[in-house]
Amino acid sequence: MHLPRRRAIKLTQSNRERKEEKGILSDLANYSQSGMTFALSVVIGFGMGWYLDNKVFGGRTTPWLSFIFLGFGILAGFKHLWDLSQRIAKDDD
Amino acid sequence: MEHPILFISVILNWIGLPVPHGPIGGTLLEKLTEPYLTYSWLIMAFLFVVPKLTLGKLELVPGTGQNFWEALIGGLMDFFAEHMGREKARMLFPVLATFFIYIVLANMIGLLPGFMSPTSSLNITVAMTIIVWLLHHILGFRYHGWKYYKHFTGPIAVMAPFMIILELIGNFARLVSLSMRLFGNILAKEILLGVLFMLVGAIFAPLPILCLGVLVSLIQGVVFVLLAVIYCVGAMEHAH
Repeated sequence: MHLPRRRAIKLTQSNRERKEEKGILSDLANYSQSGMTFALSVVIGFGMGWYLDNKVFGGRTTPWLSFIFLGFGILAGFKHLWDLSQRIAKDDD
Repeated sequence: MEHPILFISVILNWIGLPVPHGPIGGTLLEKLTEPYLTYSWLIMAFLFVVPKLTLGKLELVPGTGQNFWEALIGGLMDFFAEHMGREKARMLFPVLATFFIYIVLANMIGLLPGFMSPTSSLNITVAMTIIVWLLHHILGFRYHGWKYYKHFTGPIAVMAPFMIILELIGNFARLVSLSMRLFGNILAKEILLGVLFMLVGAIFAPLPILCLGVLVSLIQGVVFVLLAVIYCVGAMEHAH
């Protein structure tokens, strides 16, 4: 079935507009979340290490688990950014 | 932040119920009459009563009330369908649309003098976030069975224990950031409005902030629901 030419053009235009609109909103959600998630990953990683040091092992391991889990937290933050950029690259295709 | 006047608290006081002066009450009855809870119930009652009144009987040719709801529900459905596909959107529509309408209304009600936003209390936002967090993990298990653990172990088997810790931290960060962002934005709006009303309310200084408040309310509602959609989609798709 043939669409009239003008209608076909209009349809593709509205599709593109719709796609751009979707991109703006989901970008807004992703980016407004990413900075906070990065910072919180570091804090939560350190908090878990601190809890293990002071509450679970009673201070015998004291600075070490905190430092190790701080490293895990930083890595978790970077992993979040990596996943995000991969998802965005996939969406752009 | 102590609001100048809260109508529901005033009415409750007048009836003779105890209203807590701080953010958290002592006894059970005081806990039940905390302002953020009473205003949350007001919004729930509003959402029950107003659609009943405006919709009445569904008609083929919609009147004004039915038109509004049809536009809202249809628009939301299309919006979700764009992000997760029509079928999944239909499955998750009740919970997501409820969140959206409730959050936007809860954010907006704080713009009226004498009302407060329930979402400016961390209790409400954390409760909603826990629901979203549990929902997306339950969906993951529903869609993948026990193989859902592959989402957390990464592609390389040797790295698995390491990746599980990272994913654990990332999941907690999700839980905290989703609730804190909504809470922080709305609390900031409420405090700013309260301070401006007290200081320079006579010369309409809070007006620009009220306009911004409408914008922030809508955007935060959309962002919360959209992040819920993104998490659910991530849990339902195959592990990379």
